Amino acid sequence: MPTTITEPKADVVLLGVGYMSGVIAAELSIASLNNSKNYKVVAITKGPYWDYVNDFSMTKYDEWGVGLGRKYDSPLPLQSATIRNTPYQFALPVRRYTMPIQYHALGHGVGGAAQHYGGTMGRQGPWGYTQYSSTVGRYGSGFLDTVNPHNDLLEDWPLNYSQYEPYYVEWERAHGLCGDGNGSSTNSPSDTGYPWMSKNYPLPPHPLTPVATAFRDATEALGYHPFPHVSALASQPYTNQYGVPVNPCVYDGYCGGPCDYACETGAKANAAYRTIPAAINSGNFTLVVNSFIFRLVTDPTTGLVTEAHYYDPQGNVHIQGINAGGVFFNGMWGYNMIRIMLLSGIGAPYNWNSDPTMVSGAVGRGITNGYLPYKGTNVSAKLNNIGGNAYAAGNGSGGSVDIYDLMDDNFDHSATGLNGSPPFIGGAEIGAGGYPGGGPGNITFAGSVSKGSMGGTFKTSQKDKYLQTTTMLSSTPLAHDLPTTDNYVDLDPHYTDIYGDPLCRLTYDWTPNTYNGAAYLVNKVKEIFTKMGATSIQVTSQVGPGAAHNDWWGHHLRGGCRIGITQSRSVWNKWNQCWSAKPPGTNPPVNLFGAGEITNSYGDNVPSGTHVAGAQSYRAVDAIRSYLGSPGLLT
Amino acid sequence: MVEQTRREFLKLGLAAAASAAMASGIEIPLLGNQNSSMQTQLNSANTQIANLKNRVSTVVGFLSLSVAEQSLLEKIVETIIPTDADPGAKEAGVIYFIDRALAGDYGQSANMFMDGPHILPRIPANATTPLLVSPSLSWVNATGGSTSPIAYPGGNLSTDTGPVQGITASPRVGSGINYQYSLNLREFWRVGLDALQKYAKDPNGPYKGPFESLSATSQLTLLQDLWDNKPTSFNNILPSDFAYELTFMTWAGFLMDPIYGGNQNMVGWKYTGYNGVNFGNFYGEGQDQKALMVATAPTRLQPASLAQYQQKASGSS
Repeated sequence: MPTTITEPKADVVLLGVGYMSGVIAAELSIASLNNSKNYKVVAITKGPYWDYVNDFSMTKYDEWGVGLGRKYDSPLPLQSATIRNTPYQFALPVRRYTMPIQYHALGHGVGGAAQHYGGTMGRQGPWGYTQYSSTVGRYGSGFLDTVNPHNDLLEDWPLNYSQYEPYYVEWERAHGLCGDGNGSSTNSPSDTGYPWMSKNYPLPPHPLTPVATAFRDATEALGYHPFPHVSALASQPYTNQYGVPVNPCVYDGYCGGPCDYACETGAKANAAYRTIPAAINSGNFTLVVNSFIFRLVTDPTTGLVTEAHYYDPQGNVHIQGINAGGVFFNGMWGYNMIRIMLLSGIGAPYNWNSDPTMVSGAVGRGITNGYLPYKGTNVSAKLNNIGGNAYAAGNGSGGSVDIYDLMDDNFDHSATGLNGSPPFIGGAEIGAGGYPGGGPGNITFAGSVSKGSMGGTFKTSQKDKYLQTTTMLSSTPLAHDLPTTDNYVDLDPHYTDIYGDPLCRLTYDWTPNTYNGAAYLVNKVKEIFTKMGATSIQVTSQVGPGAAHNDWWGHHLRGGCRIGITQSRSVWNKWNQCWSAKPPGTNPPVNLFGAGEITNSYGDNVPSGTHVAGAQSYRAVDAIRSYLGSPGLLT
Repeated sequence: MVEQTRREFLKLGLAAAASAAMASGIEIPLLGNQNSSMQTQLNSANTQIANLKNRVSTVVGFLSLSVAEQSLLEKIVETIIPTDADPGAKEAGVIYFIDRALAGDYGQSANMFMDGPHILPRIPANATTPLLVSPSLSWVNATGGSTSPIAYPGGNLSTDTGPVQGITASPRVGSGINYQYSLNLREFWRVGLDALQKYAKDPNGPYKGPFESLSATSQLTLLQDLWDNKPTSFNNILPSDFAYELTFMTWAGFLMDPIYGGNQNMVGWKYTGYNGVNFGNFYGEGQDQKALMVATAPTRLQPASLAQYQQKASGSS
């Protein structure tokens, strides 16, 4: 019979053990970083402690078992999510892992979702933090509602780029990021258009591919400011500020979907290989694995979180409490971060209404997406003079070159500036030249089969497909996705997890800002490809608002637990401290802190999500230290 | 039933065929008891036995597929990846890959979320009656919501400008939310193969004979019909969903590591120029992977399999 077990109390309890919790774990458990105070830190994750030596190094070269079978991922029978495009629809549950990847509930175990990503990174630039006031100031107060009906971008971030900049540096040191600047020509705080850096990335970039070199030369000739892609895969041996040694990338070609992005050398950064080892060495840290957190308990008078309840694999219920003045840190991934708060009645849940002036609440509000639909706006072309080995795939996007010039407000978004193209704000980080294979790609290809994938003609088209004598270029500008009142997360009324609690329901569709941005940018990319000497350039735009599409969801959805300056519609304040109260006016759970979720999706949405939240996690470290010294609402 | 079948069999004086069947461990399915159909069935059975004997000498048999499914699926996969001057699905042993997958986690839908309700997607747009679905009690408890069925009218947001959406989403075939059947994938394949054969044999249909008997051109056309949802023999299964599974698994059987039964002798990798787990020096070629990644011209490497890699890493050869 399952029993209830009360665990020894701790000072800091981390919910989930991914990137963000890893930072808190290392910083708060090492006494020398905390005026010699031995804070007791406990971290709880639903999955195991993956070890690259024992779990990945011999067995990951297995596209069927790992890439599609997903044996290192979160099991869907344990927990899934449901998705739909509008609030009027029934949301279908994600029932299987297929390709293209849908990462619903992917993170599982120490390191979380970052055990299964390409390692792409990138700072959010100064405009990102002030995009509301900057847009209103330059284009007028009605502009946002015009470009994105039901717009829910209503304020700036609580802090600006200069205030977050030191936190970025800490994050980059801890994880050993590779790169060389972000394209800022002055690299000083006077450059408000680009993410200037007070300190360059700790490791040099990965070797550039011939395509990347061609892209760099072409963009330079067009007046842009190319820089090497920022990567979280160590390009050299490295030791971070916590003394954790890091192996470099071995460039063996197994880095993407076919091995589910698992890294067998630990070169690819995640908490398991950068921060958690330091926490374990501190002697003040307890790691609880294979344990599913299902409730937080709050004190009805003070509002404070008092306990986390979780199931162990045998079904026993464990109660993890805190010492007086202790804190909880919600470091769960994506929807789970929202879900645990909704299940526990913490914070004001978002209430959707078809009238955007009638919506209320904060928890679950404003999810955005970092990917265009599977068949999105795209430009493809052919480079006849560069071939290569498409079986050799490197570290996600490593070896490529990016530009920041078509992002943020670095070009004129007025009707004149856009020259008749439909209006939007923001843009995208544009890049090219990643290691050609993107992984062997067999599963991707197999998962995308269609009527045309049968018979002798198609078979012939596949002959020697990994031995390229020319290169196909392809770019899908991942344009800025703005929050709207119609995109949100709540609890699904029909489906539950294996323990009987409601799943998360995601209501999301791409917004006009994203489509319009992509439609404009794709022609800019066309100019670049032309300059590179490419031929057979084709521009496609296959989807628009209102089309039903549920592909490419999940892995880059974000938001729904926003940091903000207005208490009624944000979950975290400028200290990453929970200030959302339910009901309004009651005491919020101020001893709950969160991995900084961004106000909205941003630019090239892929890199900046994790990197931006990473800076937030160091901000939260400061906040938690402050709270542990003097509990209360931080101001 | 089995004994009775055998007796009938012997009574007809076909002991030779029967002993061959028993030696192969195969029960010959004699489903009818009308003598007029017996000869046809026995001819078919003899052909199957001959085929099976051939297979037994090259591979290790089947874990999941029935005899009827074997002969049908064999022709399907050979249609999807035909053998020409180069090896195809037949030489790669794709059918064994699929057989083992169906017998294992894939067939059991072991890593799929299979809870009800099972609401099939693609309910037509502009349905006049809203979809009504009862909530779970845990949701009622967690949110304080009503226990009454929830109505989903479908339709657009005011901000949408495109076509009206259906009550449920219209997922891409093969996407993670597309498969909403209550069947596990083994059951799905059983139903799908049966429906495909029914469509082939339909005396009022375009083909009028078992799939195996059709010309190569007709076989390919029939599979294309599935993608176009032409057959009506699939009941509430969308034929294109089954066509996706057939095509996907056939290519997977051609390209996955040989450890799973397909891609035998790595013929799929050799055909596509893929290197497997040879990072440039597995056979002492002296190539550097870091250099291969930034090369401007391709280098063909002899592929290596996961088993070879593990053997080498463990020090045995």
